[in-house]
Amino acid sequence: MQGFLGIDVGSVSTNLVIIDENINVLENLYLRTKGQPIKVLQEGLQLLKEQMSPQLKIMGVGTTGSGRVLSGAIVGADVVKNEITAHAIAASTMVPGVQTILEIGGQDSKIIILRDGIVTDFAMNTVCAAGTGSFLDQQADRLHIDISEFGTLALRATNPVRIAGRCTVFAESDMIHKQQTGHNTEDIIAGLCEALVRNYLNNVGKGKEILPPIVFQGGVAANAGIKWAFEKQLGFEVQVPKYFDVMGAIGAAILARNHYRENGGSKFKGFEISTSDFSATSFECDGCANLCEIINIYQDGNIIARWGGRCGKWDHGIQ
Amino acid sequence: MKPSIGFPATLFYFTDAPFWQAFWENIGFNVVYSSATNKKILDEGIKVTVTDACVPIKVYHGHVIALKDKVDYLFIPRYMNLEKKETFCPKFLGLPDMVRASIPGIPKIIAPDIQLVNPLSRLRLCKELAEKTGASFARVAHALAKAGRVQKQYIKLLQQGYLPQVAMKLVKSGRTAGSPVKEGDLNIAVLGYPYQIHDAHISVNLLEQLKQLGVNIWTMEMVSQTMLRPYRKVMSKNHFWHFSNRVMWSLFYFLNKGGLDGVIHVTAFACGPDAMVDKFMELELKQRKIPFMPITVDEHSGEAGVRTRLEAFVDMIRHRRQLE
Amino acid sequence: MKISFPHMGTSHIAFKHLIEHLGHEVVPPPAPTSRTLDLGVKYAPEFACVPLKMLLGTYLEVLEKGADTIITSGGVGPCRAGLYPHLHQKILKDLGYDCKIIIFDPPLHNLKDFFSKINYIIKKGGKSWRQFWKEFKTSWLKLCVLDDVEILSHQVRPYELKKGSTTKVFKECLHIVDQAQTREEILDAKRICEKKLKEVPQDPSRNPLKIGIIGEIYVVLEPFMNMDVEITLEEMGVITHRSIYLTQWSRQNIIVNTEGSIYKTAYPYLKKKIGGHGINSIGETILYARNGFDGVIQVAPFTCIPEIVAKSILPEVSKDLNIPVLSLTIDEQTAKAGVQTRLEAFVDLLEQKRLHGGLNYARVSGH
Repeated sequence: MQGFLGIDVGSVSTNLVIIDENINVLENLYLRTKGQPIKVLQEGLQLLKEQMSPQLKIMGVGTTGSGRVLSGAIVGADVVKNEITAHAIAASTMVPGVQTILEIGGQDSKIIILRDGIVTDFAMNTVCAAGTGSFLDQQADRLHIDISEFGTLALRATNPVRIAGRCTVFAESDMIHKQQTGHNTEDIIAGLCEALVRNYLNNVGKGKEILPPIVFQGGVAANAGIKWAFEKQLGFEVQVPKYFDVMGAIGAAILARNHYRENGGSKFKGFEISTSDFSATSFECDGCANLCEIINIYQDGNIIARWGGRCGKWDHGIQ
Repeated sequence: MKPSIGFPATLFYFTDAPFWQAFWENIGFNVVYSSATNKKILDEGIKVTVTDACVPIKVYHGHVIALKDKVDYLFIPRYMNLEKKETFCPKFLGLPDMVRASIPGIPKIIAPDIQLVNPLSRLRLCKELAEKTGASFARVAHALAKAGRVQKQYIKLLQQGYLPQVAMKLVKSGRTAGSPVKEGDLNIAVLGYPYQIHDAHISVNLLEQLKQLGVNIWTMEMVSQTMLRPYRKVMSKNHFWHFSNRVMWSLFYFLNKGGLDGVIHVTAFACGPDAMVDKFMELELKQRKIPFMPITVDEHSGEAGVRTRLEAFVDMIRHRRQLE
Repeated sequence: MKISFPHMGTSHIAFKHLIEHLGHEVVPPPAPTSRTLDLGVKYAPEFACVPLKMLLGTYLEVLEKGADTIITSGGVGPCRAGLYPHLHQKILKDLGYDCKIIIFDPPLHNLKDFFSKINYIIKKGGKSWRQFWKEFKTSWLKLCVLDDVEILSHQVRPYELKKGSTTKVFKECLHIVDQAQTREEILDAKRICEKKLKEVPQDPSRNPLKIGIIGEIYVVLEPFMNMDVEITLEEMGVITHRSIYLTQWSRQNIIVNTEGSIYKTAYPYLKKKIGGHGINSIGETILYARNGFDGVIQVAPFTCIPEIVAKSILPEVSKDLNIPVLSLTIDEQTAKAGVQTRLEAFVDLLEQKRLHGGLNYARVSGH
């Protein structure tokens, strides 16, 4: 049986999926990156190998996410694609006709507008964490509530309070103020969900034509409170796909499948690399005043990739 | 029925509303103001403007939205220059275009170029207003002259120390009044643009709070053109922007006049010109060793936060005074 | 005098030539790095735009290297840049630097001031006005040649067979132009550079997307600031075009003829000049749409006032003319990875648009 591997390495999570030629998800993994993308990726590959059916043969690999170049070099990817395109492909395959994708992850968020299955507009969050998952994580921490309970609690609110504040620090002081004025926890949590959605719509969602069908994906989509807040503020139904937290990886896998159909063959190095010794080193290039940090990736002592220079002097050394 | 014209109650409202109201009424329009800035106006404005626009521009868009379904016309004057070698912030120059591009379904915008550098430019303004309103040239000229007299009264009241809202009421009632009494023990210059300082929602009631702390407030509206004249050449280069210059010149006036205990600069989050003005002010006052506090207001400012800062500033000045 | 000046694109090579030939020692401004930016950010007002911060950082670096005089341009507003040198002077003085900043406002603004400042520089170097005029003309030629070579590099790079080969040759070219001293040598250098660039192995069968680059002059011209937006796109096989070159007024531009036409073009959307390159950004977007470009990228510093006005109006233009526009807002927080992702996604979007032509979708994306 043919399988296609999709890998999405982000700053917060590393996701791996395997799909078959008909885009059925066979395996999926959601792991915390914990600042160690290489190690977690290898662990993920090891886990997949143990879980998956032995008949399955990987015919293509796609990588995406902020660590797409790194993971692409390590596994030998056939397609390395930005996460906007990957998310769009996944959503439009899973929910045909989708016109709006709301994506909220741990430290970033994006909106993608599609018409007739084609991306026509997109935006990513800018400088701050407003409108991302870490906003909720931090507030949950302050309230001593497990983030996984957030959604259920929010839905129990009877009179959500209005929390002002674009960033977590301001929101926190307003939240403490609201606590002092006697609002209950459920109403405050619902208020936080609404604040996140408001910040999201005012930042990445600004000026976008948000039309149904609307898909909500990314790690934060697990939170029913946010889905509720989106529906309330947009006035449309919002769907959360089954594999909402690994959609980027699914998109990468679909791209790998399409690549295989068009070109055949794969550069995939095999699951054995989970036991290889990968290491990354960096040095400061003193070729000019830019003092770029050049990153070297080694596999079992051999250099397999290198990038990081502004001038391209180092990027093109290894093919 | 008289046609109605909407006037957003922000930006030029605090400086020029009596003038424009008199003008429009004299040529047969009914002037409709938006209500004072409130949370809803601010929220609506934030929704339609780009993220990095400054608060005043966001607020202005909110006022337009509040008015758009209630009036036949919208008045968005394009303030370009009231004097030679001066202009306004680029956002003012592009204001009618930004509003038009950002807010769907707005009534006809009347956006005359306000350029008053010489008699010819005044004539041009008369002509443009006549064309855009359908009134005769003579009627427009007459209305402008009449508006000018109302504005004179208004400015005089501001110089006496009345705040814009009070002065507008006095102008309307036609009463004359003595100057308000200053009974506080500290004199603090509160500098910044009229649409920041006098908008109680944006400034989170800053003036009132200071008054309660026993502070006599000095703003740039209290300084007349004549009083400013000697300070127009103090800087190595004047600013390009009308209001910024008046803020800086008033600062030099107050500094020279003496008796000032401190300076508060009220500035809006992401205000372009103020990024410059504030630094110039800071360096000037640092050199003169006068207490200085910038207060940046944005759409999330809370009254409590501003109160804390004001109290601390006033306490610091009083404490310093005791030590001397 | 030990003179220095701002770094902007490749222009420092020509300015260095001029100042040196006027008999002064030059402290060449280093190409901006993250250290430069850190220095600037530390002492500049938070909401000043990133060019002010970067220039302040550059000045601090050249002062460390012993410069005692900085020559820079002024301006007449309403863009803030015209006041920068005055603010820089005050900040540097506050930090204890006693340097002289010579500010050149546009000559037509104050002729007398303009000439007296040039006179000061000439006399200090012991030269005559006649010599100045000769050196000025040579330096101007050098500036033109630098721009010519750069423009050619933008035309070659999207077709290069080996990624990075054009950039490598272009770097050599800059060195060659820098070495040329006389008019003849400069013209020779131009010929050599053009030959070298044309010899870069290319694949002429490609049919690249075309993207227009608009925005604020400093971030458009300084690759460090715009995260190498042109090179990045061109190495993805996209043709980029920009109208901002320091020598633009002297060249016949295929897209944009004269400033006047820009204002007329922009008029339906923006009726007045608003300082900086605000109105140009609107006008050029319209012209790119009319000239069959696939998309436009606006690069603007965070808090740049004229570009904020343009950014507010661009969605309207984009919708009316069916041309996608990506706005990249640059400040000290901007990370190259984020820009890279946006550029890749934008190029994907344009490719799809080209494949499915005729559909009416075009909006402003990004921030």
